[in-house]
Amino acid sequence: MTTLHDFAVWLAHSPVNTAVTAQAWLVPEIQIVHIVAIAAVVIAATLINLRALGVVETDQPQHVVAQAWTRVIGIAIVVLAATGFLLVASEPGRALFRTVFWVKLGLIVAALAVTAAQARTGPVPTTASRLLAIGSLLLWIGIIFAGRWIAYAEGWPGAFS
Amino acid sequence: MSLEDFANTLATTSLAETLTDSTWLFGAVEAVHVMALTLVFGSIALVDLRLIGLVQQHRDADRLVRQVLPLTWAGFVLAAITGTTLIFANPQGYFANTFFRVKILALALAGLNVLVFHYVVQPRATAGGATAQRVSATISLALWLTIITCGRWIGFTI
Repeated sequence: MTTLHDFAVWLAHSPVNTAVTAQAWLVPEIQIVHIVAIAAVVIAATLINLRALGVVETDQPQHVVAQAWTRVIGIAIVVLAATGFLLVASEPGRALFRTVFWVKLGLIVAALAVTAAQARTGPVPTTASRLLAIGSLLLWIGIIFAGRWIAYAEGWPGAFS
Repeated sequence: MSLEDFANTLATTSLAETLTDSTWLFGAVEAVHVMALTLVFGSIALVDLRLIGLVQQHRDADRLVRQVLPLTWAGFVLAAITGTTLIFANPQGYFANTFFRVKILALALAGLNVLVFHYVVQPRATAGGATAQRVSATISLALWLTIITCGRWIGFTI
């Protein structure tokens, strides 16, 4: 906890924090970029997963759909990580000291592992690729819920603010 | 009945009471709203970017629209239901909020743009009709970005 506390204190006094809190409109605009990147992940994951489940784009081989859209997820994740970091830096006492934020990070690691596996699937859906599709859908939904929940969750006792 | 009266009426419903009593319920409805809106925006942006000619050029535009439209509809219905529900948590506040008003206006314009696209632009689509499609798609993207921006700003100004 002390290392995390030290990191939060450092972040609160960092140039990043100064930059993103300089104008009131910056944090909302960063959140909007974050939301647009979420939309990219959502449509990409939806197309990959619905293809694996045989619902959309059935005229294309599964791996063509998977490879095209896992690439989009990869790019969007970079944007999400960058904007996410800026948002944490803007208020270091918030996300870092709420369990749901760490749950979200864990779910993201799992979702990325599933996505990486989906990039290696074959031309025809199999039980494995269908299971990955269901896993992916559940994980991304969970991540969105966890993300929204940061604003409502109670901070750890004695947390930095 | 004025807008203010209407807001006051909504504020006295049992739905309003339930939402104001329970923080987790509001948050849950909000989270579903976020999921739905990202599906709406993601699917619309995909079609718009294809019509402008920036992505998926190897896919036939009409075919892409047909595949993606059900996703847009499902997302929109869910977003509309959750969005309407959220209003009940603070009707007076939302109706008086400038970003909320602009958002509703932008939604109406986006709907109008869809109708114009389907009934005027697409039926006349030929090689020469590409400009009209690009204009319609650009307007669509601009409107939906406005809707998302206003939506987020409501939270900071309510």
